[in-house]
Amino acid sequence: MRARLTTLSMVGPALVLFVVMLVVPVCLSLYLSLTDWDGYSANPAFVGLKNYVNLTHSAEAIRAGWVTLLIAAVGTVLLSVFGLGFALLVNGASRLNAFFRIVLFYPHVLSALVVGFLWSAVLGTSGVVNGWLTSKGAEVLPFLSDPKWALASLIAVLVWAGFGVNVVLYLAGLQTVSKDLLEAARIDGASKRQTFFNVTLPALAPVVTVNLVLSLVTLLKTYDLVVSLTGGGPAGSTQTAAYLILWDSFHNNALGFGSAQSVVLMVITAGLALTVARLRARADRGVQA
Amino acid sequence: MSALRMPRVATVQFKSFRTKGWGRIAFLVVTSVLMLVPMYLLIVSAFKSQQDILQHPFSLAPDQLTTEYLRKAATNPDFNILKGYAVTILFVVSVNVLSVALAGPVSYVIARRSERRYRMLLLLFVAGTFIPSQVLVIPVVYTLKFLGLMGTIPGFVLFETTLTLPFSIFLYAGYIMTIPASLDEAAAVDGAGKHRVFWSIVFPLMKPAVVTMVILNTFSVWNDFVNPQIILGPGSGLYTVTTGVYAAVSQYSTDYTVVFPTLLLAVAPLLVVFVLLQRHVISGLTAGATKG
Repeated sequence: MRARLTTLSMVGPALVLFVVMLVVPVCLSLYLSLTDWDGYSANPAFVGLKNYVNLTHSAEAIRAGWVTLLIAAVGTVLLSVFGLGFALLVNGASRLNAFFRIVLFYPHVLSALVVGFLWSAVLGTSGVVNGWLTSKGAEVLPFLSDPKWALASLIAVLVWAGFGVNVVLYLAGLQTVSKDLLEAARIDGASKRQTFFNVTLPALAPVVTVNLVLSLVTLLKTYDLVVSLTGGGPAGSTQTAAYLILWDSFHNNALGFGSAQSVVLMVITAGLALTVARLRARADRGVQA
Repeated sequence: MSALRMPRVATVQFKSFRTKGWGRIAFLVVTSVLMLVPMYLLIVSAFKSQQDILQHPFSLAPDQLTTEYLRKAATNPDFNILKGYAVTILFVVSVNVLSVALAGPVSYVIARRSERRYRMLLLLFVAGTFIPSQVLVIPVVYTLKFLGLMGTIPGFVLFETTLTLPFSIFLYAGYIMTIPASLDEAAAVDGAGKHRVFWSIVFPLMKPAVVTMVILNTFSVWNDFVNPQIILGPGSGLYTVTTGVYAAVSQYSTDYTVVFPTLLLAVAPLLVVFVLLQRHVISGLTAGATKG
């Protein structure tokens, strides 16, 4: 009996907090997504799947969905290409390489909010770059004021701020490539290119997959940077799913509709994250084999 | 576990993959310049006038520099940065202490018991890593209102601690499994209770995992924006560094004598920590990234 109480006292506090602050809220979201709640009325009406049906008709939500997917897809490819490319370039124990790794990584230390404000001061219509262009008599560039440019700028800043992590992950992966195989390839007279495509890349396959899915999951949640870099504009062209969800929930008082969007985003991210977990388990086994 | 092992930075050389010579170095130097230009602009512009920033953004004329704007930003009536530091540090410390106090014991139980229900418990906690916090905060607002904790420090700290639990428990439980159980059994024979065995025998051996989590939690609490913005809100008068930056900067987004000094003050502490503890920070934050 006493042993059970001891176990309970070790498990209880964490479990209670976890249930109250995470399990209950997630269930609440599921429930709210089936209602028309506005955030304050006493009796939200049960509307079934109406919010989900509306989601498929809402031009704004569909655009935010596409914007999010575009950011996630393009961003993921760039993060992985830059990640692997630079990992190959800074792989090695020299002090210079250590310095380069730190320089590539440091933006990740900064909050996304600060990164966004910093870049908007650099790229904005009256920002540093355009101020400098104007003083040289050149045309102003619409980095953040044209919908297409703004989306491209957003992705570029996301990549600038994030690819250092991918570099570190790929560097870790590179250490697992069999040195014997590399040596064998060299003795057999394989070119660097052949060695890379026939030895290194196949050995890195699990790391590549993990990188891709991790970047995808992270980018699907993009929020802070949108707030500080573009504010979702111009004309809503850079609103991501997370941005629209918070906007609908708190500014439009459409809690039910916002919750339905949250549930969809949660299901998509959770599905992808589960895929990562499974792939990583497989990758770990691959490393041990 | 993999999360601990993966981020370790390269020390082995792969000669065949090093693009030798000056081409590689030159390319990396150019990239480094591109990476550092925004930071250079941030630091230099914090000491310059609006006109100087826009006309000569890259110039560094010592006689033009002034600490006037930096001092103004530090005493900005919209956002007292010193108070912001104090509030944020309070949150960082509380979340770290509470997180390890809660996650430590439960991870110990999970790691040492083989019954099915403890494995299910681990799965339940780990499932929490899959919930995006920007979305979770919406229903949490109503849970906190129900508990009377909305807009309060305990409410915010408890939610922020909850967000650290899934990955902490995953990491700690995995780490404790690598510590031989014979150690705590010996202590138990000597009559020490479970809590005592954990805190005096096992916990000191978990240091690497705890360091990883402390780094990760410190950076994520310091940099968090959505949660303090929504839970504490402007009404509470409590600003963290990020919500304070938002309050101070978004109103004057084109007055760069406000923007740059404020941003510099906001990032300076973390950059110092990063420079001092780079290797730990890189592996800690990368471990965090892999939690998905």
